[in-house]
Amino acid sequence: MMSTNTSAPLVSIRGLHKAYSPTVQVIKGIDLDMHAGDRLVVIGPSGGGKSTLLRVLMGLETIDKGSIAFDGQPYIQADEARGKTSIDTKVRNSIGMVFQNYTLFPHLTIVENLILAPCKSRGEKESVAKDRALTFLTRFGLRDKATVYPSQLSGGQKQRVAIARALMLDPKLMLFDEVTSALDPELVAEVEQVIQQLALQNLSMMIVTHDMWFAKNIASRVLFCAGGTIVEDGPPEQVMGAPREERTREFLSRVFHIGA
Amino acid sequence: MDYNFAFVLRYQDALLVGLKMTVLVSLASIAIGCLWGFVLGMARGSSLRWARALATVYIEFFRGTPVIVQLFWVFFCLPLLLGIELSNMASGIVALSLYMGAISAESFRAALKTISPDQHNACVALGLSRYAEIRYVLMPQAILRAIPTLLSNCVSLFKESALVSAVGMADLMFVGQNISNATARPVEVLTVVALIYFVIAFPLTRGVTVLERKVLKGLAV
Amino acid sequence: MTYTFDFMAVRHGLGVLFDGLLVTLELTVAANVIGLTFGFGLALLVMHRWAVLRWPASLFVEFFRCTPAIIQIVWFFYCVPMLFDVYLDAMTMGILALACNLTAFNAEAYRAAIQAVPRDYRDAGIALGLNGWQRIRYIVLPTAFRAALPVLVSNGIGIFQQTALVAIVALQDLMYMGKSLATESYRPIETFTVVALIYFAVSFPVSQLASWFEHRRDRLAR
Repeated sequence: MMSTNTSAPLVSIRGLHKAYSPTVQVIKGIDLDMHAGDRLVVIGPSGGGKSTLLRVLMGLETIDKGSIAFDGQPYIQADEARGKTSIDTKVRNSIGMVFQNYTLFPHLTIVENLILAPCKSRGEKESVAKDRALTFLTRFGLRDKATVYPSQLSGGQKQRVAIARALMLDPKLMLFDEVTSALDPELVAEVEQVIQQLALQNLSMMIVTHDMWFAKNIASRVLFCAGGTIVEDGPPEQVMGAPREERTREFLSRVFHIGA
Repeated sequence: MDYNFAFVLRYQDALLVGLKMTVLVSLASIAIGCLWGFVLGMARGSSLRWARALATVYIEFFRGTPVIVQLFWVFFCLPLLLGIELSNMASGIVALSLYMGAISAESFRAALKTISPDQHNACVALGLSRYAEIRYVLMPQAILRAIPTLLSNCVSLFKESALVSAVGMADLMFVGQNISNATARPVEVLTVVALIYFVIAFPLTRGVTVLERKVLKGLAV
Repeated sequence: MTYTFDFMAVRHGLGVLFDGLLVTLELTVAANVIGLTFGFGLALLVMHRWAVLRWPASLFVEFFRCTPAIIQIVWFFYCVPMLFDVYLDAMTMGILALACNLTAFNAEAYRAAIQAVPRDYRDAGIALGLNGWQRIRYIVLPTAFRAALPVLVSNGIGIFQQTALVAIVALQDLMYMGKSLATESYRPIETFTVVALIYFAVSFPVSQLASWFEHRRDRLAR
């Protein structure tokens, strides 16, 4: 994976603020640097701003204050005076995202879902894109599903297709927003295994999850977010094993207690 | 009083001519009306305020007045306003197309609205341009989802087409009424005419139900 | 050709049009009263477990839903007196014809709404120890009626518009008055425009009411 500036962080967030309405402040000042190859897992209570952070990074939300640089280039800027957000769509194209609800296009077959963006927005030749798509599907154990429609797949299969669809665009950063939350428990493992596979290839990723075991296994770095700020930030053994902050401890004891 | 339905058979040629006219007028109005309806539906969901307002007024007006009033209006008034001669058939098709446009616009708009905003997020995440998003993601789904209601609009239009008889177009209804008056046997003739309409419309309404189930199943995410 | 509008020509005819509107409203209200009550009964028959009741009821519903309203009306006016040897005044005939049509459409609306009541609700009723009749009375019907309301209202507006068809069999409603006024005054454009506007002025507010009901129902359902 080429980087224009190897010393600069892959993602650099400064002074990020975001409110859905004057009374609903979801992000209240986040500063964050993430380096290439990092596998950042964001944990924390619901409503703590985890998913919003990912959606902002994907360029799906406007922001109120702050800026984000990606791979050394300016990416998202808040223009406070005019209340507008500028998003560089070229930069955005090197980020991929997988959502909780799969978001496969129901009117297209699996292969068509995979090649839509490469062919229609990058001008890749259909035969070339198709070959790449089949390679991904084979790798994820979905080769025989190539020509069926999303409605004929299980949740786990849909989510694996969604991951393959995002990978088709060679993203430098992958965002996973609670990708196993909508799945039946027995289907969670197959999706997590695919993400593990990607981790082995050193793909940079940011993951929001409620599955603490998965978080511990895959993370190279863990963020604990609550109340719209980053409360604790460090390697998984430290944040999840020996948290320094009282709020982190309290949160972890609650989820692990319920989990056990 | 005894009834003799067999005698209606003697008039089968005339009824067939009428039926052809009914089908022709319906199909022409459906084709024109659907295209017009798609344009109106897009305008109704557009971000341009004037386009939205115009489309809304048009749709509400045509849905809020009897089709027969619309038909009379087009038949008597359009030639005067435009200063051109319109044949019976042309004014029938114009009136029904204008009506079909209004009802199918609602189907297209409703279909567009059911597509979840998640799909838009996915398009952004995949870097699709706005054009590619509309052309390859939104439009095919809107059309697929609109098909069941469009088909039931077609059935409504087919039934409403019987109104063109009131402005003297020789459709099935008109022919039927003429035969009924000439033979003074309304019970047999009108019943048979009603049955002909039924035989065509009924399977179509069943089709709507089947399609609805299929489309819903196929497009479930 | 430029046409000079003269809506004044219609003004002296407004009284006549108003008389017509009253007839139209009378037809609409009567047909709706019949359609709302009989439609419900018919819906119960359509869902009855005895085929002897179910089949004729379904046939009635489908027949009126799948044939043009105009032929139903013409058929009524010509055939009912011959078939049953009853001679009723035109108004009664008009009401009956429209009411049959509306009964069929409303029966379908009631049926769909009753069958759409989620099974969970009935199950909850059983779990709460309500008997069969209580479950229908307190759970199924209120839910179903609320769900059916928007469709019932829009069917009602539909019948208001269909009343224009009885003009063809010479009942002196709004449409009929409009037609004769147009011929007398040689001002068809103004007359039919005014007639259309009158129909619109009545049905538009009601249809807004229907979508308000629908909106409210969807909000409550969440």
